[in-house]
Amino acid sequence: MNARSFLVAIIVAGSSLILPTYAQVAIVLNSGDGTVSIIDKAQKKELKRIPVGKEPHHLMATPDDQYLIIANAASNDLVLLDPKTGDVKRRIDKISDPYQIGFSPDRKWFVSVSLRLNRTDIYDGDFKLVKRLATPKAPSHVAFTSDSKLALVTLQDSNQLAAIDLATQSIKWIMPVGMTPAGVWVTPDDKYALVGMTGSDYVEVVDWRAQKTVKKIKTGKGAHNFIAMGDGRRVLVSNRIANTINIIDQKTLEVVDTINVPGGPDCMELTADGKELWVTSRWAKKVTIIDMATKQIAMQIPVGNSPHGIYFMGHAARR
Amino acid sequence: MIDWIQDLFSALHQHVFETGVLPVLYALDLGGEAERAFSATEFFLIGAIEITLLAIVLGALEQWRPVERQTHTDWKKTDASYTMLHRLGFVPLLLFFLLMPAIDWIDGSLRMHDIIPPSLEDWLPWLSTEPLWSFVFYLVILDFAAYWLHRWQHRLNWWWSLHALHHSQREMSFWTDDRNHLLDNVLMDSAHAILALLIGVAPAQFIALVVASRVVESLSHANVRIHFGRIGEYLLVSPRFHRVHHAIGTGHEGAVRGCNFAVLLPIWDVLFGTANFEKTFPPTGIRDQEEGRQYGDTFWQQQWLGVKRLFSRA
Repeated sequence: MNARSFLVAIIVAGSSLILPTYAQVAIVLNSGDGTVSIIDKAQKKELKRIPVGKEPHHLMATPDDQYLIIANAASNDLVLLDPKTGDVKRRIDKISDPYQIGFSPDRKWFVSVSLRLNRTDIYDGDFKLVKRLATPKAPSHVAFTSDSKLALVTLQDSNQLAAIDLATQSIKWIMPVGMTPAGVWVTPDDKYALVGMTGSDYVEVVDWRAQKTVKKIKTGKGAHNFIAMGDGRRVLVSNRIANTINIIDQKTLEVVDTINVPGGPDCMELTADGKELWVTSRWAKKVTIIDMATKQIAMQIPVGNSPHGIYFMGHAARR
Repeated sequence: MIDWIQDLFSALHQHVFETGVLPVLYALDLGGEAERAFSATEFFLIGAIEITLLAIVLGALEQWRPVERQTHTDWKKTDASYTMLHRLGFVPLLLFFLLMPAIDWIDGSLRMHDIIPPSLEDWLPWLSTEPLWSFVFYLVILDFAAYWLHRWQHRLNWWWSLHALHHSQREMSFWTDDRNHLLDNVLMDSAHAILALLIGVAPAQFIALVVASRVVESLSHANVRIHFGRIGEYLLVSPRFHRVHHAIGTGHEGAVRGCNFAVLLPIWDVLFGTANFEKTFPPTGIRDQEEGRQYGDTFWQQQWLGVKRLFSRA
């Protein structure tokens, strides 16, 4: 063996030792029993289930991707995990009832909507409270306009969409939308907000600048949450009642495909290569993995009660 | 084995929810309540399974070692209807669709003024990652509250006028635990739920706490000649210990209007001087029944007489 091939062998062996711990775990929040399932992504097996706090519903990576933030709604805290291993690194307390959370694209604002308490809390990038804002009933999900000026919040029980001006931390406008709006998504061209009507069977397309509904895209019943397919064009929407997922073309604003996913599909995560879609099947206490080539179920992994948020490294781009 | 049971339960829960509950919710435009209804469905199914298992196990124990031969099957049937109503209908609806939204409203109003209600984990942060210990702590705290609430049920005349219905069963069986006036239920269940939510018990944890308590309470009312031994009697309320609480002449009289008020842990009676560890299985009921006072035989008679007693007309 010459020096060069020896060096290559060392690098290969070294990286095989290091790489398996990277991008190998999927993290699932079991909101019903306050645990996190750490799943071996390659083996598709639950490695462990760790208690994390009460009612963890949603999660997201910090803007620098260093930590995964888990929002424990009933524990009033955020737990920061190592996204590579699922190990708990830090706990931030006195974050009141964080249900869904989000960072503005400029990373200046951290917004936490409190579904149960009819409030939206605005923190700075270091989780210091700036303003508690009373909002109408059941603020459910949040999305941001790309200029980081507005946070769009769905109001699930009053059937409205609210825009919060982040600079003044005040409600800029509230407009009516359909029945039980949940997931909200800003299209990559920044023109529209897509709103999932969990109480109905469509996605409402809102021209947020004009505060006008311009289209209703027919989906399965219970349109709920969104995730990008990473190609800048298509977005997935889960339909919790119909037990389907629709693929929406954001240019034509049409449904282009439908995937059957049993058990109340809720949050989703797509692998960067677009081959596997992981979905929390809320009513089935399972994670369902879809083979995106065939659009069929590849397998299901049993997890805890009422699985909600899901995340793994090596996911598709968020646009 | 446990995995297999859990899988089976999950499949049943999903099936009942998706085919029976969700369509009704959506027909009533209540899609936003899906998550709450999912938990309520679980609570209902656990209740149904629990009642079935208790009927089999405690029914067999009552056959095996009865304290007394019971002849009034109609009395037992009335008590059973209380159990069905309370465990399968009343509590899940009250808890999930009235009390929880009410608590949320109170909680939300407090937090707008930067008051975050404290939880046990604020004082003992390590409990956040120890669900079993957290369960034990909450169980002990709630049982302590239950002891004092129970004492007031006996001590306050107006409350006793309602609670007396529970004690009027002269052929006590495991079904008797839920034989309560509906107003008494509303008071007790609300007090428990409000306390539990204010000290930070998560809804899923609350379900487990309620189920664990109910199993012990059903056993403690059973018509079985069972005690837990010299030490065990101090650790958990036994059928003998609780029967003394229901005894004619001793269970509801004296300075504190009774003895053995504990629901799960007899230690509260020991600490507050109300324990009576006598080794007997006395007849149950209220003394004035021997003088002819009527508490009713059917559900509606019992409810109506309870209201009349409350307003001092019966």
